[in-house]
Amino acid sequence: MGEPFVTARGLRKVFHSRGRDVTALDDVSFTLARGETLGLVGPSGSGKSTLARVLMRLIEPDAGAISIDGEDWLALRGRALRQRRGAIQMVFQEPLAAFNPRATIGGALDDPLRIHGIADRADRAERPRRIAELLERVGLPAGFAQRAVHEVSGGQRQRVAIARALATRPALIVLDEAVSALDVSVRGTILELLADVQKSDGIAYVFVSHDLAVVRVIAHRVAIMDAGRIVETGPTPGVIADPQSAMGRALVAAVPRLDFGRDDGA
Amino acid sequence: MRRFALRFLRSPEGMVGLVLLACLVAMALLAPFVFPRDPLSIVGRPLIAPFTDASLPLGTDRLGRDVLAGLMHGARASLLVGVFAALVAVAVGTVVGTVAGFAGGLIDEALMRVVDAFQVVPAFLLALAFVSVTGPSLPVIVFAVALGAWTGPARLARAEVLSIRERDYVAAARAIGMHPAEIAFKEVLPNALPPVLALVSVIVASAVLIEAALSFLNLGDPNIVTWGSMIAEGRNVLRTAPFLSIVPGFGLVLTVLGVYLFGEGLVEAMAHRRGRQ
Amino acid sequence: MTTTLATLRGLSVSYRREGAQTFALRDVDLDIATGGRLAIIGESGSGKSTLALALAGLLPPEASLAGTIDWPGLDHVPVAGRDIGMVFQDPGSSLNPVLTIGEQVSEGAVRHLRLGRATARQRALDLLARVRIPQPQAALAAYPHQFSGGQRQRIAIACAIAASPRLLIADEATSALDMIVQAEITELLDTLVREDGMSLVFITHDIALAAKLADRIAVFRDATLVEVGPARQVLARPSQDYTRSLIATHIDFSAPRLIDERA
Repeated sequence: MGEPFVTARGLRKVFHSRGRDVTALDDVSFTLARGETLGLVGPSGSGKSTLARVLMRLIEPDAGAISIDGEDWLALRGRALRQRRGAIQMVFQEPLAAFNPRATIGGALDDPLRIHGIADRADRAERPRRIAELLERVGLPAGFAQRAVHEVSGGQRQRVAIARALATRPALIVLDEAVSALDVSVRGTILELLADVQKSDGIAYVFVSHDLAVVRVIAHRVAIMDAGRIVETGPTPGVIADPQSAMGRALVAAVPRLDFGRDDGA
Repeated sequence: MRRFALRFLRSPEGMVGLVLLACLVAMALLAPFVFPRDPLSIVGRPLIAPFTDASLPLGTDRLGRDVLAGLMHGARASLLVGVFAALVAVAVGTVVGTVAGFAGGLIDEALMRVVDAFQVVPAFLLALAFVSVTGPSLPVIVFAVALGAWTGPARLARAEVLSIRERDYVAAARAIGMHPAEIAFKEVLPNALPPVLALVSVIVASAVLIEAALSFLNLGDPNIVTWGSMIAEGRNVLRTAPFLSIVPGFGLVLTVLGVYLFGEGLVEAMAHRRGRQ
Repeated sequence: MTTTLATLRGLSVSYRREGAQTFALRDVDLDIATGGRLAIIGESGSGKSTLALALAGLLPPEASLAGTIDWPGLDHVPVAGRDIGMVFQDPGSSLNPVLTIGEQVSEGAVRHLRLGRATARQRALDLLARVRIPQPQAALAAYPHQFSGGQRQRIAIACAIAASPRLLIADEATSALDMIVQAEITELLDTLVREDGMSLVFITHDIALAAKLADRIAVFRDATLVEVGPARQVLARPSQDYTRSLIATHIDFSAPRLIDERA
């Protein structure tokens, strides 16, 4: 399929805390094609969230290179970076924490549209229409625009977060534990929405999670992280069927099976 | 918002504070109508004791000026200085604190050293020095009092901003390409404000006292009557006519108490709202 | 063959908010067997955590309680901390940051078992070894922030079982942890309950965890008990649609994938 959309090479990040150095990323490299989902899986502290934030340019790496669509992503500064940010969006774990506590849903969706001038050129009235479209795209009624973000349920809030990410028409969305904080019954519907959006818009995902079972549902390929390194990578079903790394095996073993009860009982 | 008001009214501190403040504001507003004459003008015999003359219920001072008129007009100066000094202090303080906390690095270091410099000098000495250099007038006094009071809000706002800066919604705002200035003043500052506003009552109360102390030292605006200048006036005849100092002193105590209780009520109502989330 | 530790009959918990009465639990009948492991499953707002608080007698004062909780398996009204141990979701906030691990773990033993200082210290050491904290001797003098999330949860469990309670309530005790640590903590709870003959109430939103740990499952939704029964029966032959949908929406390695394989 030609040139990969995202190429990361030799990413390294060390945090200094309480006089100790913690290596969060240690020579991390990966590629991602357009419209593809890469699952990033590992235990807490393995560096997967740091990698997500480095990719978003929310944290600057100490070393390494990222190219997106052939462009040096780490070289962008200031205004140029802010403009280009529209191409890469993020959805966070806690939908409540990801919105300004004072925001309304309409206001939260209006910000990216305004900043990136998505609907500005035609006329102002275009923006409410576009907000309604976005809400509809994620399965929410257009009337939600008037509501405060904290008034709606967790699952609906995560839909708003996805709508906000879609507002800038990105080519890549980084999902950091995006379904982990949701109720089990909601989790499935959000995953379906993500898969559906990917099919229609051809968006690539980096899907960060500690739950290999959830990653298996949504990710074409998976990269397993341990102590700041990618220790194993490959097509998701293959890695789960036959994990090569110790961490891969541990993650596969940790997924509880719904095996209809215990067999050691009295 | 209505629930917030209800909770405030239900707290006994808030209620008492509100009543006291309402009385003071009423005094200040009604003063020019009840006593249209300059309160510094002579209306009768000097040193009439309170409650002896029906037309001068609180008596007169050494020069025969009406004490009640002075008390009511004096409330204007106290409240004006208190409110405006607090406004200036909070506005300057939050902006400096937000910029320092949000920008970090050298800007943060520089701004916080300025805050330190202001904080090591006692607020009253700062005001005293400023007024004695520039000469007393109401705006100067407001500014002089704010000079010693903005550091508290600045520190508090910075601490709040440092914590809010790490929240996901700020990361989300950066991710959509929002300009740092817009993030600082639209996303961060409004959420850093509530704890800073809790400081307002303390600032108003201390501003009222500093203004009174300045007037007491004859560094107040000489053209208006203030409680501080009335106390200073009465000091000379403290043995023979103690009421001349006690009456405005009482005004000061009630003002500070009212402002403080009002603030307590606000904080309590706010804590309730936060606790429920 | 089994005795009953606790009997809940017609239990309702409600709060009065802005004039309206809202139920956190409504008319719940439930038995907890001595030595049994009961899983309480439900989503947010189902009332499952209220049930834990009601059992432990830790409801906030503004809650009004109707119905009865009897303790036929005990000869006195249980005291939280002595007869009932609690483990919560976030060990970061249930442990006191300024007390050493030794002080916190031995506190329950000192208060409820009236042990002397030296004996309590020895007991804390034993407990830390039981919850498999590495180098328990050194851990006694350490503070909570020096441990990882998983280790803190182990310490919280040590605190909860310090006074040898009859009942251990784990309220979403593993949901803040990653999958690997979650599996380890579940394993630890299993072992401890087995060794001490404690009863376990395991509150979770994850039906697979419940399946792994419990012999009985109670499903809650919107403050009411939907169904309760032996774990195998509830999972294999659920009688309610809601339970069926919970099982159907659970994601494990057999869940259908939502994407096309790429060339």
